[in-house]
Amino acid sequence: MMERNCTISISDPTLRDGNHAVGHQLDVEQIAAYCRAADAAGVSIVEVGHGNGLGASSLLVGEAKTPDSIALEVARKNLTKSKLGIHVIPGFATIERDLKPALGMGVDVVRVAAHCSEADICERHISFSRGQGVEVWGCLMMSHMISPVFLLEQARKMESYGAEGVVFMDSSGHFLPEDVRKRVELLVSELSIAVGFHAHNNLGLAIANSIAAAEAGATLLDGCARGFGAGAGNTQLEVLVAVLERLGYRTGIDLYKILDAGDLAEQILMQKIPSITSVSVVSGTAGVFSGFMRPVSRIAKEFDVDPRDLFFELGRCKIVAGQEDMILEVAKELALQAAKGGK
Amino acid sequence: MSRKAVVQPKNKLRIAIIGSGNIGTDLLIKILRSPSLECGAFIGRNLSSVGMVKALSLGVTVSADGINYIVQNPDCCELIFDATSAKSHLEHAPVFKKLNKRVIDLTPAKIGLMSVPSVNLEDSLAEFNVNMVTCGGQASIPVAYAIGQSQTDVDYIEVVSSIASRSAGPATRQNLDEYIKTTEEGLREFSGATRTKAILNLNPAEPCIDMQATIFAKVNNPNIPKLVEILEPLVENVRKYVPGYEIIFGPIVENDRIVVIARVRGLGDYLPAYAGNLDIINCAAIAMAEEYASLAHSKGSTGE
Amino acid sequence: MKVKRQERIRHDCLRILDGRDKELDPLRQSELVIVGGTGFVGTWIAEMVTALNDAYQFGIKLSLISRSTEQFSNRLPHLANREDIHLIKSDVRQLGEFPMDADWVIHAAANPDIRTHASNPLDTASVVVDGTMSVMRTAERLGRLKKLLYLSSGLVCGPQPASEMGLAESAQGAAAPDASFVYANSKRFAETICSAARAQSRVPVLVARPFSFVGPYQSLETPWAQTTFLSDALQGHAIRVLGDGQVVRSYLYGSDAAYWFLKILTAGQGGDVVNVGSPVGTSLQDLAKLVAQNFEPSPEIMFNTSPRSLGRSAQLLPDTTHAQNEYGLSAFTSLDEAIKLTAQWHLMQNSQERG
Repeated sequence: MMERNCTISISDPTLRDGNHAVGHQLDVEQIAAYCRAADAAGVSIVEVGHGNGLGASSLLVGEAKTPDSIALEVARKNLTKSKLGIHVIPGFATIERDLKPALGMGVDVVRVAAHCSEADICERHISFSRGQGVEVWGCLMMSHMISPVFLLEQARKMESYGAEGVVFMDSSGHFLPEDVRKRVELLVSELSIAVGFHAHNNLGLAIANSIAAAEAGATLLDGCARGFGAGAGNTQLEVLVAVLERLGYRTGIDLYKILDAGDLAEQILMQKIPSITSVSVVSGTAGVFSGFMRPVSRIAKEFDVDPRDLFFELGRCKIVAGQEDMILEVAKELALQAAKGGK
Repeated sequence: MSRKAVVQPKNKLRIAIIGSGNIGTDLLIKILRSPSLECGAFIGRNLSSVGMVKALSLGVTVSADGINYIVQNPDCCELIFDATSAKSHLEHAPVFKKLNKRVIDLTPAKIGLMSVPSVNLEDSLAEFNVNMVTCGGQASIPVAYAIGQSQTDVDYIEVVSSIASRSAGPATRQNLDEYIKTTEEGLREFSGATRTKAILNLNPAEPCIDMQATIFAKVNNPNIPKLVEILEPLVENVRKYVPGYEIIFGPIVENDRIVVIARVRGLGDYLPAYAGNLDIINCAAIAMAEEYASLAHSKGSTGE
Repeated sequence: MKVKRQERIRHDCLRILDGRDKELDPLRQSELVIVGGTGFVGTWIAEMVTALNDAYQFGIKLSLISRSTEQFSNRLPHLANREDIHLIKSDVRQLGEFPMDADWVIHAAANPDIRTHASNPLDTASVVVDGTMSVMRTAERLGRLKKLLYLSSGLVCGPQPASEMGLAESAQGAAAPDASFVYANSKRFAETICSAARAQSRVPVLVARPFSFVGPYQSLETPWAQTTFLSDALQGHAIRVLGDGQVVRSYLYGSDAAYWFLKILTAGQGGDVVNVGSPVGTSLQDLAKLVAQNFEPSPEIMFNTSPRSLGRSAQLLPDTTHAQNEYGLSAFTSLDEAIKLTAQWHLMQNSQERG
């Protein structure tokens, strides 16, 4: 065991990743109330926005009930100690249309995200944010799709652009603890910037994977109240804080108050508490973006195909986050095949 | 200009290509195949670049002098394809204008009229500087236009393009914002939608995916039969110059939105077939140039 | 304000030249060509040369070859419009027009922006490797060439071993051969090309290995520590130090570096390799403090990570014993002074832009 007398920063994307679970329908009151609770608990970073981040409200992924500008304004008003964070995917969000106005509203932390193998689309967004004096992280999504060495290569790009840390995301909930440990060890030994990890719980391993990351040297972990996030949900924040505390890590978070925040989130944010459904086990096994859960469920019904077949086929086609349109195409193909097979 | 009634090699419209990167070199190969175009000069900045070496091997006149070559040799062409960069085109455009040369601009500079041959060929022919929008624009605007023509109250149109990671070079990756802005402007212009949005995904899957563009629209009381009626001949029209263009899904109404998915498989001339994104913009540019050629020829043949 | 800034730069050059001008006597009435002449190093050498011409009547004819001569002319008309400076627009990989009477050549062409190295590694390699090949092929035909100085990089020997106080020219390490180190490895191969040109064609080439610099003319956009700290402070933001601030670097001031290069060019022997940088290390934490004390109100200094992830390859300093013993070179401008001069220069620029 490594010496654990050290600090783990917690970034809380409840109000961002959680939006995937409710079709991006979080409203102003919900944002305000949860921000106050997380702020009171001492969470380092509170991330707010559409599930796919800034500028991602769309027919593709889902239209947000609360526009970026309003959500950020409300969050800003209700955060005193916690930093206000945003998730930014180049290809969705542009600097002029989205990032500049967001920084103008007082965002503290910008997390610029790309599919794990495509870090170089982040150069301008990272450079711009860094030049504006805000804290900038790079995020590599769907990171199970490339080897640890390639992940390092992409993380190094983000470091070169000026990112202060790199978060690699298990967007499908596909990793086993050993996969996480290998990646964190490599990144920590080769990068001179901080390493963070973002888990999903499709295989019930979000907490175990997050702890593996911390033990291997990650200094930032993502967690959501009650695990409120896409698909089977994320690392459950209250549990993560309690486990880290038992292991001797400092998070700066008050346990009772984060438990309160979890209770509040359950009451006011979610239609149902995220759980590992049969389909989300398949989604995690197939390595498909967790945010696809809602559209896949809907489209599987419309095309009368088994959502599990649909997930496995999407995994086989190596569809990346942001390609929700492909669900339709793949479902149609499956339906055609089924019709042929039936004859 | 010759006055023969039939297009003979002599009647070919002489063009020059400036910019010897992938786009410029692919254009060259398409031009060498064209019955009505011929290449007077292939112009770049680096004689040892891969594109230049290819052009030399094809026996084409090349120059590394950039725009100076055209200034010094104004008779080398009647029409110029500018495949450099937006920044360079802003410098080139006034020079071309002074020389009285037609320009097809493949950069995102957007000085001239946005042109999508299947939709606004006639208007484009009247212009001296036309801009080919973006790859996503060329693939989606015919559909967006058909939606605009067939539906009432088009509130919103959105286009999601997916391209193979290997078809996106450093310039593409650094200019996603410009791609988005230009595509959104093109969509607005041609569909009349109040709001538009463009999204671009890079997909690294191997084997490489073909370029796709998915068009979503929010309209009052969607009229799919009418959309199909307008879309079908348009698609046929696009396929005349981009044979690999195909509607692979829709139009249907799903989840309160019209959905149409177009796929573009490239010709695989200088670039692999999966790079349909690069192919479609070049095919569109060639289609424009060939129309200029036939126009010039018909003017000639009517004894103007 | 613009004049004031020019006076400041001129003063920086004269300060260094005072009592040392004789050291550069071989440059009198000669022709000097800088390939890649409009970057940080090229500009500072141009300033130094014009100071030699104006204050000491050296009569040097200077040619600057670069892809971006227009930007140089717009930015620095006080240099571009001079009779003794000749600008040639050319890509280093295809040197068409080249002053064939050159006595001295400095090859400084490379893009030092680490963002470009990451996003466009093939082009980075091509500029360095093909560019050096092209310069050497040209140098073979220069009848009057006395010496050619190639500006390589302090990175060619890989990370500094923890056991060493500084990285010597003879260090045996190398960067891993992957894309993340394309710049260091290209520079390393370019040194081999220089050596080959000497072995085959007797081109009198020697190599300088620059480490980190600071000073006016350095773009604040590139995300290095010194530039980011200055940029943060100039914008009135907190200075953000990545890691625990214990990483140790050293910085040589622009006019010092220009003098070093000219001295090595004129006094060095073909085949020599010389580190160029300050031997005086500073932690990033101290660097941030030095930057902060030049601003009013003094910006806050923030550390963003826990110390857990650091501790390796934390130090990169040149061992400058060779430069000191063979060429009498040292850091003439202290780091305090260097940071102060740089901050003040940028503040002048800012007030000019506002005006």
